[in-house]
Amino acid sequence: MGNATQEKQIAVSVRNVSKKFGKTPVLEDINFEVAEGETIVLLGASGSGKTTILRIIAGLETPDSGSVVLHGKDVTNLPARQRGTGVIFQSYALFPKMTVEKNIGYGLRLRGTPRNEIKESVKRLIELVHLEEHSHKRPSQLSGGQQQRVAIARALAYNPEVLLFDEPFGALDAQIRTTLRREIRALLKSINVPSIFITHDQEEALELGDRIGVLNSGHLEQIDTPFNVYNKPETEFVATFLGAANLLIGVVYEGKIALEKTYLQAREEAKEFQNGQSVKIVFRPEDVFLRKPENLVQNYQELAGGTVEEVNFVGAFERVIVRLDTSTRQPIIVTRPKTETLIFPLETGQKVTAGLVRFRVIPNFTLASERAGKIL
Amino acid sequence: MSANLSTMRHVHGFDLVKPLSLAAMIAIMLPLILLPLASIFIFGTSKGLTSFWHALTAPEAIFALQLSLVTSFWATLFNVIFGLFAAYVLSKYNFWGRNALFVIISLPTAIPTAVAGFSLLLLWGPFGILGQYLPPEMQIMFTPYAIILANIFVTFPLAFGVIKPVFDTMSHSFEEASATMGATRWQTFWHITLPGLRGAIFSGALLTFARSVGEFGSTILVSGNLAGRTQTAPLYIFAKFNEGQVEAANAIAIVLAIFSFLIFSILFFARDWLEAE
Repeated sequence: MGNATQEKQIAVSVRNVSKKFGKTPVLEDINFEVAEGETIVLLGASGSGKTTILRIIAGLETPDSGSVVLHGKDVTNLPARQRGTGVIFQSYALFPKMTVEKNIGYGLRLRGTPRNEIKESVKRLIELVHLEEHSHKRPSQLSGGQQQRVAIARALAYNPEVLLFDEPFGALDAQIRTTLRREIRALLKSINVPSIFITHDQEEALELGDRIGVLNSGHLEQIDTPFNVYNKPETEFVATFLGAANLLIGVVYEGKIALEKTYLQAREEAKEFQNGQSVKIVFRPEDVFLRKPENLVQNYQELAGGTVEEVNFVGAFERVIVRLDTSTRQPIIVTRPKTETLIFPLETGQKVTAGLVRFRVIPNFTLASERAGKIL
Repeated sequence: MSANLSTMRHVHGFDLVKPLSLAAMIAIMLPLILLPLASIFIFGTSKGLTSFWHALTAPEAIFALQLSLVTSFWATLFNVIFGLFAAYVLSKYNFWGRNALFVIISLPTAIPTAVAGFSLLLLWGPFGILGQYLPPEMQIMFTPYAIILANIFVTFPLAFGVIKPVFDTMSHSFEEASATMGATRWQTFWHITLPGLRGAIFSGALLTFARSVGEFGSTILVSGNLAGRTQTAPLYIFAKFNEGQVEAANAIAIVLAIFSFLIFSILFFARDWLEAE
């Protein structure tokens, strides 16, 4: 019980934040909270407003309306220097004329901390980020990954209210990126400081976040666990932005989704919709099973018959494009693990039946203006 | 023909144009730059070092050198601080008339120094627009202060011109990082911005100082050219030459030439070091 209340302690809350640059709205009514020790990843394309949220929390930008609360204190009208956030800039922004030690100690020096205390803290932080042999170097003498660790240590030095990471892996090679991501994840878990990452990289988001917030042109479309955001996307944008997704249009009818000839059982999902309402069903390529028409096992809901149009080997799995036998003759993408390809090899032109393991039902906005989303 | 020449060059692996163009360059520079400079040294030391030393240590000569250094120092101090301030304002803020201000600050480089001196006289002279209201004991024209004013005027854009581009290229995120870490504007300027400008401030100061020490056109108008009172080193050279004391003029000329040479060497060779620091 005590654990549960601790988990619910809110470190950061962003309430009804809106912001315009000139006449262009950048953020519209953004609401979310970060619990103590939690890591939130704000995922979005460039121009989605994610950097602006971060800057508003840090106090580098003022919202037009709404508020920012850090550990219960409304800081909306406080300047950046009085907020105590730790920002890890994309370029790290390490002070070039200061050594690693000086960079890390800067925040404490500004707070008038006694010299020997600064020395101790800096030493402890340098050990935490494993930069012992680099403490007297200048930032320009360090690798990208080392610079990033200095930036984190520098922000941790003054016990920040929250750590804000602005695309922290953007400037690094793909290889180092993965390693660093894991290191940072482990570090954050060990120090239990709430943190917000912003990124456009979905893989990064899935790996780093306790929860992921997906941003689309200034709207927070969904904020949930990586599992739910991936498997239960609430909007078309979320479905297509995180990984590949197939979309089919259907109509709700008494707990079922009608897709031309077939009906998909959808008791739970259909609840939110009215009979006759147009919806989209969303499913991941790996949630489709392909079988010979007569062999479809009942664990899967039958979608439709189709013809294999393309079979591509893409390393760990196989990607198949199947053109459905529906009136629109829509192609869907299916991925199959190696084991599956051995049991049931496919050839171009082959007739198959597609079954779904899992799917999601979302409203079908017919106008693009209702929701800007990708159409597959 | 030229095609033949180029094949020949290629075959022999020897580029004839290189030594020829080098020689031509030096030949052109010789009468224009190198020989005039060399002649001050040749002439100045032709009667032996004792007479050179004697000319150099004449009280009026020493005074002129000192006056030049002191007035240049104050002008440099002012222009570096102002240049830093102006660069900060013009880089950081966007406002109506920003470009106009930029042009005005840079203008003194384009104005003939005699015009600069003349305009100062018209403003601050005993009968000048403002000068007429100053009581006699506070008149600044024909005093060392006038020399400082003239030096400030003619070297006005130099430090600014060196500092501004460095300011512009300085990443804004340093300031933002410093602010999020708890620094006030002043702390950020002192701990982050200023150290980043060290090299530019140093170069700007040297440039301003060198230019001030050599200033002639405006100082001859505003200083009154009074030996031992308002006569700077370049004015001393001019005065002694007019009086036919070529040796005295020459001694100071040597000092000024060496001085400029030193400053430009420092600027040239220290640039990389300054930028790295």
